[in-house]
Amino acid sequence: MIRKIQVVILATLIVLPVLSFAMDKISGQQIIENVYNRQTGNDQQADLTMSLINSRGEQRIRTIRQFTKDFGEMNKKIMFFKSPADVRNTSFMNWSYDDESKDDDQWIYLPTLKKVKRISSDSKNDYFMGSDFTYDDLGDRHPSADKHKLIGSETINGEECTIVESIPNDEEYMYSRTVTWIIKDKWIGLKKDFYDEDEELLKTLHVKKYEEISGYQIILSTEMHNIQKDHRTLMQLSNVIIDTGISDTQFSDRMMKRGL
Amino acid sequence: MSKIYALAVTILLFLLGTRVSADSVHLSGYARNYTGMLLNQNGEYSIVQNSFNLKLEHSRGPVAFKVNPYINQYSDKQLDIGLREAYLDAFFDKMDLRLGKQQIIWGKADGVFITDIISPKNLNEFLLPDFDEIRMGVNALKADYYLGDHTVEFVWIPVFSPTQSPAENSIWYRSPSFPIAPVFDYSSSEVTPSLENSEFFGKFSAITSPIDFELMAGYAWDDDPTMHIQKSINPATQQLSGITLLPQHHRLSIGGGSFSTTVGAFVLRGEGAYYSGKYFLTDNPTAIDGITDKNYLHYLFGVDFNIGDTRISSQFIQQTILDYDEYLKNDEFENTATVLISRTFMRKTLKLDLFSYIGLNNSDALIRPKLTYDFTDGFQFLLGANIFSGIEGRFGQYDDNNMLYFKVKYSF
Repeated sequence: MIRKIQVVILATLIVLPVLSFAMDKISGQQIIENVYNRQTGNDQQADLTMSLINSRGEQRIRTIRQFTKDFGEMNKKIMFFKSPADVRNTSFMNWSYDDESKDDDQWIYLPTLKKVKRISSDSKNDYFMGSDFTYDDLGDRHPSADKHKLIGSETINGEECTIVESIPNDEEYMYSRTVTWIIKDKWIGLKKDFYDEDEELLKTLHVKKYEEISGYQIILSTEMHNIQKDHRTLMQLSNVIIDTGISDTQFSDRMMKRGL
Repeated sequence: MSKIYALAVTILLFLLGTRVSADSVHLSGYARNYTGMLLNQNGEYSIVQNSFNLKLEHSRGPVAFKVNPYINQYSDKQLDIGLREAYLDAFFDKMDLRLGKQQIIWGKADGVFITDIISPKNLNEFLLPDFDEIRMGVNALKADYYLGDHTVEFVWIPVFSPTQSPAENSIWYRSPSFPIAPVFDYSSSEVTPSLENSEFFGKFSAITSPIDFELMAGYAWDDDPTMHIQKSINPATQQLSGITLLPQHHRLSIGGGSFSTTVGAFVLRGEGAYYSGKYFLTDNPTAIDGITDKNYLHYLFGVDFNIGDTRISSQFIQQTILDYDEYLKNDEFENTATVLISRTFMRKTLKLDLFSYIGLNNSDALIRPKLTYDFTDGFQFLLGANIFSGIEGRFGQYDDNNMLYFKVKYSF
């Protein structure tokens, strides 16, 4: 019996450090998957303010009211543009799917045309409303789209971060690689560098504020700085409300046309 | 002028009233200058227009209203004032009702009217104005019933409104071609407002992941009048001595549908309708008033895609007269294509568009390059041209109307 106990203790002494080492050395792939799978609630509504700031400090402001809902294997989002005046009442709806092989479905409602138009989701490289964010930057890029490698750790603003380098599988992708600083245990990308096709640093994303709302860690303020053009976009979420049970019918052409 | 003052006072009182009593009334709109110059020897102005367009919207729970008055002032001091839309909304759990003057747009086509026949067109400046200005509001009751992603829509238009055609002194007016100048008799051109003369439309539509579609039917009036031709013969000489044209609207029955879907990076669109009871001009000597009714098909296929940062959209459109006979003045098949190429620059503040209608039967075209620059948010400069090519056909007939234009628009 004593011999058995000795064997168990010995085994435990050997295995525990190995397990501990494995936990500490969680792979880059796993970290990015944890970021991707971080829970942000079943549904969310918020006001989004985008400030486009050029190198002279001049600002252009865009305001949007947005609703998102997780439908299990799909996620629906609807955005209502409130300003500037010439885009007011324009709305945009996106249905994205967990199935990687399925492209997003997208529609836009233009009040001057008074009809909902299906549009191609092919233009992910396009910049959203003239900001420094592409449509792809704003979406949830699937972890399998890149190869991820843990390359180090660093403390930023008192937050202990692991650093993951991601290289796209698609060589034609707009970025040659990205490097993300991810807060340990919270799975929030606190900082992200985007490198262009020539391996030059193109943009840096900083999360400026995040907060726990209804039990979820929600990013409230981010800034994307295009280093090469010295242009910034500050994106701020306010009036965030989570898990109120937004009706399924909110994500429909009916609501796109009706507006806010 | 009393109309103008009445409208101005109404708007002013409304604005003052809303300031104190209804904070949530939303005001938006624009002020715009639009100046066009013909590319002829004298560089005559085709249009000098100052516009003020106001939208007042208010909602309170399940009810809302919208009023959209506008004023267009022209260089010859003419004023055009009116209400583009003025309607009330009531929203229920699964149904919406809209009553009043409203623009109703159906179909998936761009710049082509196939199932989009509810709101008549204002063709005072041909097809050149923005589409929200071409389509006129109609007094209607519209009911939408929602079943998941599907919608059933019913429209009742108690009073018929026809297409607005350019005045005889307009550069967009083309007189009918006859051996002698015709005389117009408008005595039967109006449709008497009555329940019997109402228009009815129904639509079943859906927006789903694989496809969006609409199926529609309508019992309507032809928005464009048919020209009944009555000829007078001089009994002495047995020669043609006079021609009287009697514009008259006829009943039309329409059934059709449209779809749009995504295939890879392409959005494919289609739209088609079958029209029963359309009248066409004929040379058949036995035809009464020089017209005959024929059923016809009108349909299109379109594709939208991107090449890099450039958006491209193209459509092929065909009108087919069924049971065709050789006396008809129209071609049996009329083929048209449209092409749109669009690209933005400078963080979407500069936009270059090239839109063209191409008439394939007569080798004519309307080519519309346009450069739009957002000087600041809501303040826009636009420089464009309208180039008509060909000598006949829908676009070639305006070969003398090539023009350059600019617009300055302040949105609020």
